[in-house]
Amino acid sequence: MPELQLLESVQNGPRLSVTTPLEEVEAVAATTDVLVLEFDAFRDGRGFSLASILRERGYQGRLIAAGKILPDQARHLRRTGFDAVELNPGADLATWTRMDTAFDAAYQDAVDPAPTIWQRRAAARAATPPRAPQPPKTEAELQSLADRLNLQLEGADAATILKAALDPSLGLKAAAISSFGAESAALLHLIAREDAALPVVFLETGQHFFQTLQYRKQLTESLGLSDVRLVTPDAAEKADLDARDDLWKTDADACCDLRKTRPLARATVGFTALITGRKRHQNTTRAALKPFEVLDGVLRINPLADWAAEDVDAHLTAHALPRHPLVEHGYLSIGCHTCTQPVKDGEDARAGRWSGMDKTECGIHLGRREPIEA
Amino acid sequence: MKLITANRLSDGRVIYVGEDASVVEDIASAALFDGDDADAALIAAASRPGTFVNPYLVEVTGHTPSGRDRLKETIRSAGPTVGNSLRFQESA
Amino acid sequence: MYRYDEFDAALVRERVEEFRDQVERRASGALTEDQFKPLRLMNGVYLQLHAYMLRVAVPYGTMNGAQMRKLAHIARTYDKGYGHFTTRTNIQFNWPALTDLPAILEDLAEVEMHAIQTSGNCIRNTTTDVFAGAADDELEDPRPWCEVIRQWSTIHPEFSFLPRKFKIAVVASKTDRAAIRTHDVGLQIVKSEDGGTAFRVFVGGGQGRLPHIAQEIAPAVPGHELLAYLTAIIRAWNLLGRRDNIHKARIKILVASLGIDAFREEVDRHFATLSQEALQVPAEELARIQAYFAPPAFADLPRQSAAFDRAVLADPDFARFSRNNVRRHKQAGYASVIVSLKPLDGVPGDITDAQMEVVADLAQRYSFDEVRAAYEQNLVLPHVRLDDTPALWRELMAAGLATPNADLVTDIIACPGLDYCSLANARSIPVAQALSKRLADLDWQEKVGQVRINMSGCINACGHHHVGHIGVLGVDRKGEEYYQITVGGSPDERAALGEIVGRSLPADEVAPAIQRALDRYLEIRTEGERFIDTVRRLGADPFRDAIYAFEFADA
Repeated sequence: MPELQLLESVQNGPRLSVTTPLEEVEAVAATTDVLVLEFDAFRDGRGFSLASILRERGYQGRLIAAGKILPDQARHLRRTGFDAVELNPGADLATWTRMDTAFDAAYQDAVDPAPTIWQRRAAARAATPPRAPQPPKTEAELQSLADRLNLQLEGADAATILKAALDPSLGLKAAAISSFGAESAALLHLIAREDAALPVVFLETGQHFFQTLQYRKQLTESLGLSDVRLVTPDAAEKADLDARDDLWKTDADACCDLRKTRPLARATVGFTALITGRKRHQNTTRAALKPFEVLDGVLRINPLADWAAEDVDAHLTAHALPRHPLVEHGYLSIGCHTCTQPVKDGEDARAGRWSGMDKTECGIHLGRREPIEA
Repeated sequence: MKLITANRLSDGRVIYVGEDASVVEDIASAALFDGDDADAALIAAASRPGTFVNPYLVEVTGHTPSGRDRLKETIRSAGPTVGNSLRFQESA
Repeated sequence: MYRYDEFDAALVRERVEEFRDQVERRASGALTEDQFKPLRLMNGVYLQLHAYMLRVAVPYGTMNGAQMRKLAHIARTYDKGYGHFTTRTNIQFNWPALTDLPAILEDLAEVEMHAIQTSGNCIRNTTTDVFAGAADDELEDPRPWCEVIRQWSTIHPEFSFLPRKFKIAVVASKTDRAAIRTHDVGLQIVKSEDGGTAFRVFVGGGQGRLPHIAQEIAPAVPGHELLAYLTAIIRAWNLLGRRDNIHKARIKILVASLGIDAFREEVDRHFATLSQEALQVPAEELARIQAYFAPPAFADLPRQSAAFDRAVLADPDFARFSRNNVRRHKQAGYASVIVSLKPLDGVPGDITDAQMEVVADLAQRYSFDEVRAAYEQNLVLPHVRLDDTPALWRELMAAGLATPNADLVTDIIACPGLDYCSLANARSIPVAQALSKRLADLDWQEKVGQVRINMSGCINACGHHHVGHIGVLGVDRKGEEYYQITVGGSPDERAALGEIVGRSLPADEVAPAIQRALDRYLEIRTEGERFIDTVRRLGADPFRDAIYAFEFADA
């Protein structure tokens, strides 16, 4: 970046006060290669406008500032088009130089050729690979990120959303949650294509259908998922709260808490992003689902948010993915065997979950106030 | 009679020229001048810009401001008449 | 809200270093006070009656919890435990030491705050509607444009030594909640012919000694030309504005003296030859900024809230709070809640450090970590679930922040006045307190309804008394404090300057006079008429008579 020249002698050339009307300044500039604009007071900012206008209107000669100016104005002089400043006797060159270079970048376009902050941002984005910025830490930062991604990826397809979420430059530590249920194969397939080593958390509640456990093995092998983590309830808690495995009969919420919510919280400590297969159509609590949301200080990614049941079906068919064996028996949504029923024709797909109870969500996707301690 | 007041450069607080060109915060301790002495003392204060910011003369009767700007100078000497800084001073 | 990237952060840090350098050179004598003053002013540092005053920028009035906590920390550590929110939605600290300022600015930089250009002859903080992003009558959120203007105007090489200060305000609705017609430039977002964003531009508004209402200079400047048009306006004024008399230097004087048409021609001449391309916001930059202002993840709630309705029925105090301080939101089931900084015995706009911590916490828990500062010197939690408002109200009450008087007569806008300000002629805070005390009865206040009272301690009008429905101006009569009353001003889209009703009154007669004026209003108003409506219908005379009635009492 060219610096403002610091001149210690009086310069030759027409000399006009910055109080001179613009038309007159332009008239003089048209006849000379060197023009000195004299500041009667450093507060008088007309000089900066005069310089800007002269440059914009094509003056190519030397423009020199003189008179009552502060070193702190070095930058303003340079960026509005002055080539040099005629220093007053006793001026401190070091201060002038220091003030001229006090800022690395500026927002505004200026006569000097240094790129603006806006231009540098664009260049930084375009350059590959992008520098990894600090990973977000606070809930508020995650929320900003979620908002930004929702906006950026509006209308994008599931694979694109997933890819964006797993972009290393976001600095997120991601895992997926899967129930290996009726619709799971779609998301797991997309994940396997993107990163088969991504941790996949399966909540081994101890009360799954054996078909689910078989299906989990089958899918894991055929998709090549290398880090499926089985997460079980805490043994001591289980002995305490549900020794006879019948808690679901009297308090389904407490049972989900014991076998799903708390184990999930423990298993996901350290992850800043969790990928789920949730979709808007699944029930009313999910009806406003966005691809990116923040829950309990973790970024939740729902790439299939706007998929309908038909979309899942189409994907499974198109990629020849195995289906959960219970689906053809009428189970459209599959949880623990204790609380899952097949659905009748025309019923909502999740109608078989906790049917007869006043419960539509196990709780792992609803926020809590207190995070679990690591 | 007149006294000389200014703001202190380092913390902006109200100060007065005291005896022997000292710096005092309490108006009761301010040195009183008359006529030419006042002008000379003002010039002396103005030549210490590292301490006195914008010093000027205040008309007083005894140590009480009595000129046109007496209300403002009283408030300067005693602090705000109302507001949250009083609460702070009480508890300090 | 906007988050700094490494460029924004670097610039703020560099500014702190530049200012530290300037403070050192002032201390060593390398800079005289006269040279130092404009430099410190451009970092928001005033020298007031009792101490330095630091004005911290709150860009377009938006803050998050972390920022509010940092402001609390600064109040506690470097000041006397409180701060003051202004009519330009900035926050002021009244007691910092000059030598502490670099450290304070460093602390602020940690949470992406600064005091750049909150004073001095440069482009100041751009303000907007406190309900931006929540209001149901806005065309779009104006704040991304405010952020664009903020970046463009920061440390502008051509416009840092203007004839005087320059203030910009932006709204995105016909209803003007940011008083844009009292600003040097006021911008109203409108739709352009092709459906994009355009700006109706007003120029030449201002308070002060010679108040003016801004005039329209352009009906619809396309968004991509906004910065070029602003450049042309400010350039024209920079060259032609008076520099011989600070009271005649604002752009309002230039526009009035040339006439709006001649001024427009000047602006167009500059617009024609400046570099348009360099002043266009790149589309991707605008998109990048807009993404930060995407709506928060609202829950899908019903319009009615059973919890809210129950609380209204059960508790008359909550009902009153909900009537006055809880405002409609564009998202079903949500509301904007006004946090009052106008308690009965308090200082309008002041907030303690403990209260700031409470507001930070409440913003994080109830309002997507967002809190706003309002033109009226209150705070707003913009996105609160109706379900949550009863609990929020109880917490606000515990902290002394729940005075249910938003837009009522005790919701007074007042400058700090002679208690703090070296420019003032009279004190304003005690007068505001006396008025609040006298008119404290909330039932009566609600009966009177919406009245905007503005108090200024001097003719510089920082309390915006010219555009108060009732304005109070402190004047100095031979060393005594007297107060002039105006009636009929208005800061909104029907902007008007108030009319002086008669000779000034001593301090203890102000509150009774205003009460008489309001009693008269109650007598003569028609159904549904607010105070300002009655004034517009009947003029100031009925109120003049009421205010000075005591003069005839014993005739």
